Amino acid sequence: MRNLLQFLARHNRIFVFILLEIVAFYLIFSSNNYHNTRLVKSVRRSTLAWESIISDVRNYLMIRKLNADLHAENTLLRNYIAALKPATDSTDLLFPSVEKSDSLSDPRYEFLRAEVVNNSVVRQRNFFTLDAGTNQGVDTNMAVVSPWGVAGIIVAAGENFSVAMPVINVDFRLSAKVKTNDFYGSLSWDGADYRYAVLNEIPQHVEINAGDTVVTTGYSAFFPEGIPVGTIADFKKSGSDFYHIKLRLATDFRRLVHVYVIRDRLRKEQLETEKGFL
Amino acid sequence: MINRIFRYSAIYILLILFQVLILNNIQLSGYANPYAYILFILILPVETAGWLLIVLAFLAGLVVDLFMGSPGMHASASAAAAFARPLVLRSMAPRDGYEPDAEPAMAQYGFRWFAIYTLIIVALHHVVLFWVEVMNLADFMGIMLRAAISTLFSVIMILMIEYFRKGR
Repeated sequence: MRNLLQFLARHNRIFVFILLEIVAFYLIFSSNNYHNTRLVKSVRRSTLAWESIISDVRNYLMIRKLNADLHAENTLLRNYIAALKPATDSTDLLFPSVEKSDSLSDPRYEFLRAEVVNNSVVRQRNFFTLDAGTNQGVDTNMAVVSPWGVAGIIVAAGENFSVAMPVINVDFRLSAKVKTNDFYGSLSWDGADYRYAVLNEIPQHVEINAGDTVVTTGYSAFFPEGIPVGTIADFKKSGSDFYHIKLRLATDFRRLVHVYVIRDRLRKEQLETEKGFL
Repeated sequence: MINRIFRYSAIYILLILFQVLILNNIQLSGYANPYAYILFILILPVETAGWLLIVLAFLAGLVVDLFMGSPGMHASASAAAAFARPLVLRSMAPRDGYEPDAEPAMAQYGFRWFAIYTLIIVALHHVVLFWVEVMNLADFMGIMLRAAISTLFSVIMILMIEYFRKGR
């Protein structure tokens, strides 16, 4: 016993090291539970307050660029309104008694605004935090889009904050199609560069070109159809039957501030109907 | 002694604040994030007990982890760096050894000595950090490259802070 104690005392450095590494690896491998422990929750609450202040400062420094983006988006929306107006007017004139269909008066998708208060792009499993939670109607599995296109999916929702998994997380998957020919494949991120993602499973007989736009399909019950994902930057024929496509992402994740969370009113119904078949 | 504890506590708090409030929000070029808090592990007195060094480094890493939402990764890398520190210091000892209460600081041992010392410890810290983050051997060169780029940024940042802390 005394020999053992002496041995431990003499090599305390190594034992402390091994013990603490075990603790660290325990934390790493139980990281799903880690975010739920009470200590972490209370610390996160205080760090979130800090992060709000930091993001205020950061947004202020980027304000010119942000205003330009918002302005561009507003212009686009105004153009849409302008394009729609004559049509509705003429229908009203031609069919004054026609009732508005349900899909118009009660659209399937509702857009909720949110701001990014914390963000990372340098890690393999990146996440970003939004300043909207269940109190604002945000819940898990809702889609998040930026003014440019697809941003991510909500993975955790608190009362006033929520956490989303962006496209640039190696665990992210999305079904996406080439806009010109509607062939669809699986989008993922290889962890290398936050500006590019990889599109697989597009068969090689399909004709694609660099610069083609890639948009979401409606298949995944997360995103509405037709939201931009990115443009084809580069593609090569691999040994299999499929292209290996490098996609320039539409969303600039380093400048992610104003986003929209999409609530799908019919998602629950769709999933329940599909249950047992898919 | 008490004086020293206060001084190191102040350095520790300032470094952590600098790390989480400023550096974590810069993300140079989108690939590398400099980690300046390692300076705390570097400048603890030479005579600090090995186990205490590891515990302090582990706690510093854990606090950074809490702010970054990356459980245990910085704690693990920092503990590894602290474990290696006495070995590095011994191999770099001046001809007649270290003075009784010496600090491994730029002001005491010169820019060149401190830069080499920093490079070794930071490189070790970053290699552990990046491996622990990715946890597979698939993209060996890619990860080593990212660790190398980050090491460069961190070393430059740490040398700048150390230069202004005590100067030459």
